[in-house]
Amino acid sequence: MAQHQVNYASSAGLPIALTSVDKLVNWGRSNSLWPLTYGLACCAIEMMASGASRYDFDRMGTIFRASPRQADVMILAGTLSKKHSEFARRLYDQMTEPKWVISMGSCANTGGMFNTYATVQGVDRIIPVDIYLPGCAPRPETLQYAMMMLQKKIRRESADMKKNTKQDLTTQTGKRARLI
Amino acid sequence: MQVSNKLTPFFENLNFERDDNTMVINFGPQHPSAHGQLRLVLELDGEQVVKAYPDIGYLHRGIEKMAENMTYNEFLPTTDRLDYIASTSNNYAYALAVEKLLDIEAPRRAQAIRTMLLELNRIISHLFFVATHALDVGAMSVFLYAFREREFAMDLMEDYCGARLTHSAVRIGGVPLDLPEGWLENLAAFCDKLDHEVEHTYGALLNENRIWKMRLEDVGVISAEDALSWGCSGVMLRGSGVKWDIRKEEPYELYPELDFDIPTSDRCDSYGRFRLYMEEMNQSTRILRQLIPLYKDTKPQLMAHAPKYISATKEDIMTQNYALMQHFVLVAQGMRPPRGEVYIPTESPKGELGFYIKSEGEPYAYRLKCRAPSFFHTGLLQNLLVGTYLADVVTIIGTTNIVFGEVDR
Amino acid sequence: MRKYIPKDNVQKKAYYTDRYHVVPTVPQSKVDEGSYFAGVLNALGNTVTESSVQLGQLVIHIAPEDNFKVMKTLKETCGYTQCSEQSAVDYLAKDNEFELFWQLLNVGVAKRVRVHCRLANGAAIESIEPLFKSANFAEREMFDMFGIKVNNHPFLKRILMPDDWEGHPLLKTYPLHGDEFASWYEVDKIFGKEYRDIIGPENRDPAKIDIEDTKRFSRVGYEVPFGAEYNAEEETDIEYSETALVNYNKKTSKQLDERR
Repeated sequence: MAQHQVNYASSAGLPIALTSVDKLVNWGRSNSLWPLTYGLACCAIEMMASGASRYDFDRMGTIFRASPRQADVMILAGTLSKKHSEFARRLYDQMTEPKWVISMGSCANTGGMFNTYATVQGVDRIIPVDIYLPGCAPRPETLQYAMMMLQKKIRRESADMKKNTKQDLTTQTGKRARLI
Repeated sequence: MQVSNKLTPFFENLNFERDDNTMVINFGPQHPSAHGQLRLVLELDGEQVVKAYPDIGYLHRGIEKMAENMTYNEFLPTTDRLDYIASTSNNYAYALAVEKLLDIEAPRRAQAIRTMLLELNRIISHLFFVATHALDVGAMSVFLYAFREREFAMDLMEDYCGARLTHSAVRIGGVPLDLPEGWLENLAAFCDKLDHEVEHTYGALLNENRIWKMRLEDVGVISAEDALSWGCSGVMLRGSGVKWDIRKEEPYELYPELDFDIPTSDRCDSYGRFRLYMEEMNQSTRILRQLIPLYKDTKPQLMAHAPKYISATKEDIMTQNYALMQHFVLVAQGMRPPRGEVYIPTESPKGELGFYIKSEGEPYAYRLKCRAPSFFHTGLLQNLLVGTYLADVVTIIGTTNIVFGEVDR
Repeated sequence: MRKYIPKDNVQKKAYYTDRYHVVPTVPQSKVDEGSYFAGVLNALGNTVTESSVQLGQLVIHIAPEDNFKVMKTLKETCGYTQCSEQSAVDYLAKDNEFELFWQLLNVGVAKRVRVHCRLANGAAIESIEPLFKSANFAEREMFDMFGIKVNNHPFLKRILMPDDWEGHPLLKTYPLHGDEFASWYEVDKIFGKEYRDIIGPENRDPAKIDIEDTKRFSRVGYEVPFGAEYNAEEETDIEYSETALVNYNKKTSKQLDERR
C-alpha cells in the first residue's frame, strides 16, 4: 500500500507545474479556441476544407460551433455585404467574452475586389478585428497559421477580464477613435 | 419585453405567436446548413411549414454592376466568385458568351483542356454536394471522406492553374497554359480512385442506408411541370424526369464527340437527386478518360488567332512589332466586340448557367446578366417547403444545392 | 429624385479611337420560311414587330402591353415551358426607355426564344408570374435593380438589396461605389448617424497607404491595438510560446546551428 502513496512534496519529478494564473488561463483559452461557423462566401469553402480531412483543424483544439454563445472566435470568412452587416454585429455582440475576430480573405479585410456599393469596405468598420488574413481565397494552411498567431496573441494578453473587455461600444484612445 | 435599441433592434420584440396559432421563425442568414447566407422566414403550424419566404441578397456584391465598369478581360476573374465551388464553369460560361459575341472559336487543344477542367469542376462540385448534404442530414463521416477526394481533385486544379478555389483557368479565346507534365497520369489515377470511392465509400455508406433513405425519400417532391415553371435546371430538372442536359442538347466544346449518358430519375425527390449526383460523377470520370487520348491528338495551340480581340502569343509579342502594338492596345483599352447581344447557356454543375451580354461596341459590356441556376432554385424553396416538416427543411435546402455567390451575385 | 445624368466615367473615355473603326454587329439572319421558328412566328401573328435569328435563337420584339399574351401563346401553343431568364437593360439616357427581355426555352425541341420589348420610363409591365413561376424572383430582382414596376405580381418587394435601401443599383445613373446613403448604410444602421465621425468615411482607394498602419502591419512584437499609439523602440515580448509553434524570442539561427 505504502508503495503507491506518492509524496508530492518530497519526491523528485514533481507532477506539479508552477505557473502564473495568466499563463494557465491563457493556456486554456488559446488551446480550445472554438470558432463560430460564419461562412459568408468563397472563403467559407476553404474554412470547411480546413475543418475536413486533410487539414484537420480539430487537432488544434478548434471545433466549429454553430452558436455564437458557444464560440470564442469569429472567423469572418468572405465578403460582408451591407445587408448582412447588422447581423454580423449582432452575432459579435452575442458572443461571450473573451472573444476574438479573424477577418479571413481580402473581401473581409478591405472589401477586396468588390469595390462596389453593396460591400462593406472592411469588416473593421463594424467589428474590431484581431487577425487580418490576406488572400483570395486564403488556403487552409493560411487559416491555420492565422489561428496560431491568434493563439500567440492570446498568450500575450492578460487573463484579467477587466483589462480586455470589448463590451464598450467605442472608446477614444489617442488621436484616432478606436472601435471595439 | 426587452428594450429595443440600435444594437438589438427588432427581433426580440417580435411577437412570434400569432392569433391563428402559427409561429414565425427565422432561419439564417448565419445557419450552418443554410449553404451560405440564405435567410428563410418560416411560418410554422406545429412542426409543419405553412409559408416560407426565402430572403436573399446577403451576399449581393454588385457583380453585374462591376461588369459594366470593367473591360471584358478584366471581368473574367470576377466570375470565379459567382459559383465559387466550381469556378472554372463560371469562367467558361462567361468566356464562351464573349467568344460567341466575337465569333471566334478556341483551338482544339484549348477545347480539350477546357472540357477536362469543366468535368473536373463538376466532380469537385458534386463531391462538395455529397459532403455537405450528408453533413446537413447528419452523416458526418461522408463529409470527411468526400472532402478527402475533393482535395485530390483540387490538387489537380492547383497543378494546372495554381489556385485551389478561384481558378480563372479559362480565358477568352482559349486557355492560358498547357497541361503540366504528368498531369494526365494523375488525372487517370484520380478517375480510378474516384470511381472506386463513389461506389465503395459514399455509395456503400449512403445508397442503401436506412436512415439516409428515410430522411431523403419523398422529401422535396417536385413534378416535372412545376420544375420547368420554376426555372429549374440541371439535376433539379433531371431529378423530375425531364431529360435535359445542355451538354447533349446544345453541345459546346468537345462534348459532341464524347460518349456519355444523361442519368435521369422519375422519383422527383431528394433521394433521386442524390443518386443522380452520384451517377454524374461516374459519367464525368468516363468523359475524363475519353478526353485523355483526345488531348494527345491535338496541336499545341492554346489561344485562338484573332488579332483584333486577343493578344498574340508571348513569343510573337516579344519578336513582332505589330503584335506588341496590338497587345498594348488590347491591354490598355480592351477589346471592342461587335454591337449586339448574346445569351449563351452552359451546363454548370448546378444547372443552366448562362450569360446575357449586351454590347454597344465599347470595351465595356453595356449590360451583363448572369443567369444563375441557384437563383431560381432558391425561388423554388417557397413552393417546395410548404407542407413539409421543420426537420426536412435542411434536407430540402441541401438537395437544391444552392450557392450564394451566384444567387446574389 | 436624382437628376438623370448619362454615364460619365473618365476611365471609359478612350484616349485613342480609330477613325476608320466601324463597329460590326452580331450576325442576324431572317427567319427562313418553313423552318421551326417560322411556325412560332405564325402562332404569334401580328404581335411581333420585328424578328430575327441570332446564334440559333429566335429574337422577337413586341409591344410592352402584349407581353402576357405573347408569353401565353409561346407557353401554351409553342411549348416554351420555361422562362429561363428575364431582366432589363437601361437605355434611359439615350431613349428614356428600358429594354426588357425574356429568355424562353422549349425543352422538347431544344429551342430558345428571346422576347424583347421597350418600356417607357415609369411605365409598368404585366407580370408573367401566373405562367412562369420563375418570374416571381426574376421580376422582383428587376424591380430591385431598375425600379421597374410589375403589375399583378404577388409579392413585389426588394430582393437583393435591403428593404430600406435607396436607389436602384443597376441604373446607369447609380455610381458603382454607391451614393451617400450607400456609403454610410452599415454605420447608420448599426451605430447610428452620430458615429459617422468616429468611424470615418470608407476608404475606396485601393492604392491608399496609411503610413502608421504600414509600420505596425505584421510586425510581430510591435503590435498595438488599432488606433493606439505605438513605440517602435519598445518591443513587447511574446511570452509563453514554448508549447508549440515557432519561438520568436530565441534566435532561430542559433537553434538551427545546434541542430546541424
